[in-house]
Amino acid sequence: MRTADQIHIGERATIHRIVPSELSLHLMEMGFLPGKEMSLLHRAPLRDPIAFRLENTVIALRKAEAQLIEVSLEK
Amino acid sequence: MPEVLTPPRQSTFTVALVGNPNVGKTTIFNRLTGLRQKVGNYPGVTVDKRFATIKAGEHEATIIDLPGTYSIYPNSEDEVIVHRVLNGLDSSNKPDFVLAVVDMSNMERGLFLVTQIMDMGLPLAIILNMSDTAEEQGVKVKSHALYQSLGVPVLQTNARSNQGLEGILEVLSKKMFEKPEGFLASTDLLPASLSEKIQQRFDLDNQYQAYQLVRFYENEPTLSEEHRNWLQTEIEAAKYNLQATQLEETQYRYRAIQGVLDKAVTKTDLGRKRLTDKLDKIFLHKIGGYAIFLTIMLVIFQAVFAWSAMPMDLIDGFFASMSARAAGLLPPGVLTDLITEGIIPGIGGIVIFIPQIALLFAFLGILEDTGYMSRVVFLMDRIMRPFGLNGKSVVPLISGIACAIPGIMATRNIGNWKDRLITIMVTPLMSCSARLPVYVILIGIAIPESYIGPFNLQAVALLGMYLLGIVAVLFTSWILKLILHFKEKSYLVVEMPMYRLPRWKDVLITMYSKSKTFVLEAGKVILAISIVLWVLASYGPSSAREEAIAKVESPAAGATDEQLTTYENQIASAELESSYIGIMGHFIEPAIRPLGYDWKIGIALITSFAAREVFVSTMATLYSVGADVEDELTIQEKLNSEVNPETGNKVFNLATAFSLIVFYAFAMQCMSTLAVVYRETKGWKWPVIQTVYMTALAYVSAWVVYQILS
Repeated sequence: MRTADQIHIGERATIHRIVPSELSLHLMEMGFLPGKEMSLLHRAPLRDPIAFRLENTVIALRKAEAQLIEVSLEK
Repeated sequence: MPEVLTPPRQSTFTVALVGNPNVGKTTIFNRLTGLRQKVGNYPGVTVDKRFATIKAGEHEATIIDLPGTYSIYPNSEDEVIVHRVLNGLDSSNKPDFVLAVVDMSNMERGLFLVTQIMDMGLPLAIILNMSDTAEEQGVKVKSHALYQSLGVPVLQTNARSNQGLEGILEVLSKKMFEKPEGFLASTDLLPASLSEKIQQRFDLDNQYQAYQLVRFYENEPTLSEEHRNWLQTEIEAAKYNLQATQLEETQYRYRAIQGVLDKAVTKTDLGRKRLTDKLDKIFLHKIGGYAIFLTIMLVIFQAVFAWSAMPMDLIDGFFASMSARAAGLLPPGVLTDLITEGIIPGIGGIVIFIPQIALLFAFLGILEDTGYMSRVVFLMDRIMRPFGLNGKSVVPLISGIACAIPGIMATRNIGNWKDRLITIMVTPLMSCSARLPVYVILIGIAIPESYIGPFNLQAVALLGMYLLGIVAVLFTSWILKLILHFKEKSYLVVEMPMYRLPRWKDVLITMYSKSKTFVLEAGKVILAISIVLWVLASYGPSSAREEAIAKVESPAAGATDEQLTTYENQIASAELESSYIGIMGHFIEPAIRPLGYDWKIGIALITSFAAREVFVSTMATLYSVGADVEDELTIQEKLNSEVNPETGNKVFNLATAFSLIVFYAFAMQCMSTLAVVYRETKGWKWPVIQTVYMTALAYVSAWVVYQILS
């Protein structure tokens, strides 16, 4: 299973699961929910933080937080 | 009998304006209230409470603009306010109604917050804002369908272009708020027996409120120890797993919202690329992005100085001539002296700040308003991390260039306590605008106005002071990171809103209200200190005074005018030296002599502890006392001509001026900042540590500078 930080630019991914942690609730409240589509827009230098497109919004996460989001890729 | 006319009964009520960040909530607030808004404090925290009372039909409505939040479960200090106000825990601000603002192009997340408020049982109305962006993205909302499924009035607006504002006013004047049925069945959230017990004991309306209490009771200061213990026992007895329930609630809620949106919202993919995405390719570019950021900062910096120079000169000159004119008009006496030597220079010392502060606040407002600030957070996060800071620390630090107080208050949206604390501790090291007049005057004295190539040497020195501040920030936070240990993990979750053109009216309102607050707050302190200073400088223990005056040789009969003037000056300086403040200055002189300061500078250091900008007015007062006001010398000229009576050298030579500049760069000389740090950290520990480390840093650095240069 890939995590969100491993999405390539241009790929579309579907959120599979949010790995349980202290941040799960926060991530879910921001809209990172299983079944939602997301894509990767930008990586800052040193590949961290990463900006994701989720629905109509852009949200930046650190690599460590992105690793809490398990995704499956769409063809 | 004549009819008795009774005025129509007016009612007053309170409306809380809530919504996600960046949904145009503040624009709506500004449009509704204009300049009537006031800034106050919530009890116990320094978060600015913005509110205004407006006339809505026959009623008076007080509107409170709450900080933007994604959920009523707080992740930061900002969001705690929303939770407290909505739950009625803050009794002075309990809202009667809620106006919930939702971004029409991002309904899902907006409704997440709205439905939570519905479940709490508060009467509300929904404003779907930013209809223009929604349209651009092919989003259409059937308000009526939404009304039917939620049971709450819904109106569409586009606050930026003033569309739909009459609708909001109508909602207010007719009190068209509705108390909806709960959105989620709370039975799923809390075991019925536990919920009943809690509702009974705390007299709550519904299950969701009981559930809220379970979520918050541990950190709720208004609950008694007894209540807290009772809750703990009951929750444990019910074997209730709060964390799992919360995650479930979030998923339920989003699922239920999706059901509503399927009926009420149509989305057509217009296949258009958002302008924001194109702009982000430029602004977030790995190299270009940083170049743009640096350029923007330099342009702001340059503009603040270039544009404020003229008004500042005018203000300076104006107050100097006002003193002279007042001295000419008023009969000579103690009161006149107080006005011309104490009050007028004191007020001038405050007013001269206004151009720079207003410009800085305006530029910061634009950066925030356009959405660029969150891009800066993205660009800077990784760079700030090794220093124990966070991408979000950049916003407080940049604000710190204007003033540490709004900067420290801006740390509230850093969710992580360690990152936030370090940011609070180092923000006062940024060169704030209060240091500016000190720098400008001292640099003007120490460095000749010459050019190296196209660069003005004085401007380069000033830029250097700002860089010095940044270096001090990074160094200190790095040290703090090594010393402080907290369990909490650092994280960053930040939304990058769409780019928008700045709303000039909003920028102006922000600039006006922030400058006003700053000037009034700082002004009170400065004015009071100016008066106290003047009194201390004009009076002293009478015996010491007479002795000092007697020591001055009186000129022989038939002395020239020149000799008489020298005599008068000697008397004046003897009087100052034997005044109360002179005695205080002499008392600390041994401690500051290694830094190159005399007792007069010592006085300025003492008074600057309240606020560093007082340095200028202190100097103005000290060197005006006894001086001929009609000379209309500006402060800088006065200081530059000051000569050490013993050595005959200038008091403000290169070494002393630089030593002083460095001292002011690092020392904690601002009561207001200390007060804010006290409130934000909820105790005296951190402000005390901050004062000690900053003063030590200032003393040692100033000593090193003086020893090297002299």
